[in-house]
Amino acid sequence: MADKDLRIGAALAAATCSLLGTATPGASIAADAAAKWDIDSAFLYYGESDDRVRDLSLSAHATRDFGDERTLGLELSVDSLTGASPSGAMATGGPQTFTSPSGRDTYSTPAGEIPLDDTFLDTRFALDGSWSQPFARLYTVNAGLGFSSEYDYQHIGANLGLTRDFNLRNTTLSAALAYAQDTIKPVGGLPLPFAQMTDAVGEDQSPGSRGDSSDDKTVFDVLLGVSQVLGRNTVMRVNFSYSDSSGYLTDPYKILSVVDPVTGDLIGRTPAPGASGPTGVYRFESRPDSRSKQALYAELRHDFSGKVLQLGYRYSTDDWDVDSHTLESRLRLPFGGSSYFEPHVRYYQQTAASFYRYSLANGTLPEFASADARLADMSAFTVGLKYGHATAGGNEWNARLEFYRQTAKAPNEVLIGNQIGHTQMPDFDAVILQFGYHFKL
Amino acid sequence: MRRIFAMAAACIALQGCANLGVQPWEREVLARDDMQLDANALDTAFDDHIYFSKEGTSGGRGFGGGGCGCN
Amino acid sequence: MSPHDSAARGQTRLARIATALAAGALICAGSGAAPADAPSFDLTRHQGKVVIVDFWASWCKPCRQSIPWLNAMRARYGEAGLEVIGINVDAERGDADRFLREVPIEFEVIFDPHGELAKEFKVRGMPSSYVFDRTGKLVQTHLGFRDAKKDEKEAGLQALLRQSIQ
Repeated sequence: MADKDLRIGAALAAATCSLLGTATPGASIAADAAAKWDIDSAFLYYGESDDRVRDLSLSAHATRDFGDERTLGLELSVDSLTGASPSGAMATGGPQTFTSPSGRDTYSTPAGEIPLDDTFLDTRFALDGSWSQPFARLYTVNAGLGFSSEYDYQHIGANLGLTRDFNLRNTTLSAALAYAQDTIKPVGGLPLPFAQMTDAVGEDQSPGSRGDSSDDKTVFDVLLGVSQVLGRNTVMRVNFSYSDSSGYLTDPYKILSVVDPVTGDLIGRTPAPGASGPTGVYRFESRPDSRSKQALYAELRHDFSGKVLQLGYRYSTDDWDVDSHTLESRLRLPFGGSSYFEPHVRYYQQTAASFYRYSLANGTLPEFASADARLADMSAFTVGLKYGHATAGGNEWNARLEFYRQTAKAPNEVLIGNQIGHTQMPDFDAVILQFGYHFKL
Repeated sequence: MRRIFAMAAACIALQGCANLGVQPWEREVLARDDMQLDANALDTAFDDHIYFSKEGTSGGRGFGGGGCGCN
Repeated sequence: MSPHDSAARGQTRLARIATALAAGALICAGSGAAPADAPSFDLTRHQGKVVIVDFWASWCKPCRQSIPWLNAMRARYGEAGLEVIGINVDAERGDADRFLREVPIEFEVIFDPHGELAKEFKVRGMPSSYVFDRTGKLVQTHLGFRDAKKDEKEAGLQALLRQSIQ
């Protein structure tokens, strides 16, 4: 079962990204006083190169204006995931066989290819609700709850925030707190840290490398922000955020190849007589049980004769040593009176986690290790274009096409013997296609 | 880490300039939907979901401020 | 701006505004009279009436509630001596006209595209309304518009309308 982090990530995204900081945008000015619901809906397709992950997603954000700035926000999304993603094992000169996450089957990878483990069709539901209202002329308070569920992952979260305006509402200070509790219950149970991948077992037996069937993760977030009007056509904001995760942070499906400490070649293994199983020594990864992250985000919006430039930069650092820079820009170009084009570019770059490894040297085990390329030295680039058209009734159709390319690198320090100069990283391209309709009821 | 705090403090100190900004009746551009700091909320939510799953970092965008400054 | 600290200046304010406006403001009964034909404006001609001066703009979301309420007040209490004057601060006249097609205004409108009157009144938020009693004294300032405070404001107007001129 691959791509657990899409779910783990989505769950956390629901807790932090969508609740903390994007709660209840005010409903846009209604031409008709009776139009109280503002609904933004979209259908998205995400597809990676080389038969890897594919995601279909349907999402709707509804905002209901109750008058006097009191707003209810509801967000519903459904995701359907298929495809395969890298297990963390390295490509070798010969074919490889692995036991599947359930512990009951095996799957194989041809020689010279990066091992991918198949994701089975999985559906995720997420629901978020938020409420925002003023409580004195210059103060707004907001609160939200979020929930998401998929077959091996549940998430529940809550957030609370406050904003206060200063300087004739040219300056706004915001503060928010969020708390989330997630439960992961992977197929086949949770592997013990660095447990070796064992032969596939029959229907009536459970895999020996497994410990408990489920575990929890708690995430606590604080966000402090300032937004400032810089001029008639310009507004900016700066946010500082702190995030603390604790509990089970390991990806229960990811493994590392165990290699000879001198040559760096995979250590071979023969399955037990009559059984099928791994043809090499592979161990399940193990990550620390806490992660503390800080980030600084700055964004600017500037209008010049109806065109809007958005520029954003985020710097993030954490105690796993994953430091990242993100630079992003959008430019809205209206034309024809009721349409617009909006090109978009994004550049992302991160440093590897201190426990990132390309493979595991046979012998003494480190305290933590992961070969997940998402924790490697990595950079990514997105380029896209959105098109939107306003209808006569004031609603909008839009479409967005984006291309994403990710390239990762294993730092030389984590390479052993023959691996140097011969690494194969699971780089990929992805396409994002989205169709949306924004309307008022 | 100290660098982050220093950068944040500098930014916040800059915001303290009370003469930065516009008069309440000069907010016609700032009130437009496409000038809101949370415009593109749906796109951003999709993107955050994708990037969180595919990259090592997430979050941080925040909320509040800008706009028509009414009420 | 509290009624207390501006009470003494209420009278002078009217005179100052009258002068400022005589220099080139427009009057429009909501239908867009051409500037060149507009007579110069004098707020003091409303003395003896309770006057609400309301600053509004096409981009001001709460104005879509405040203007219909002002229309209703004008309709209900016009006979009793209530006058309402709207001051539009849109930089582009076209935006104001578009708004007026959706939200009709049934009282006088002055166009203040450069914010001169707004500056004069020291407007601190949109919308803002200033209520003058029958003697021309500024007695109330309302910053913003809250549906929940409508009845309270109407009661305030009734009290002012009951006052007779000394």
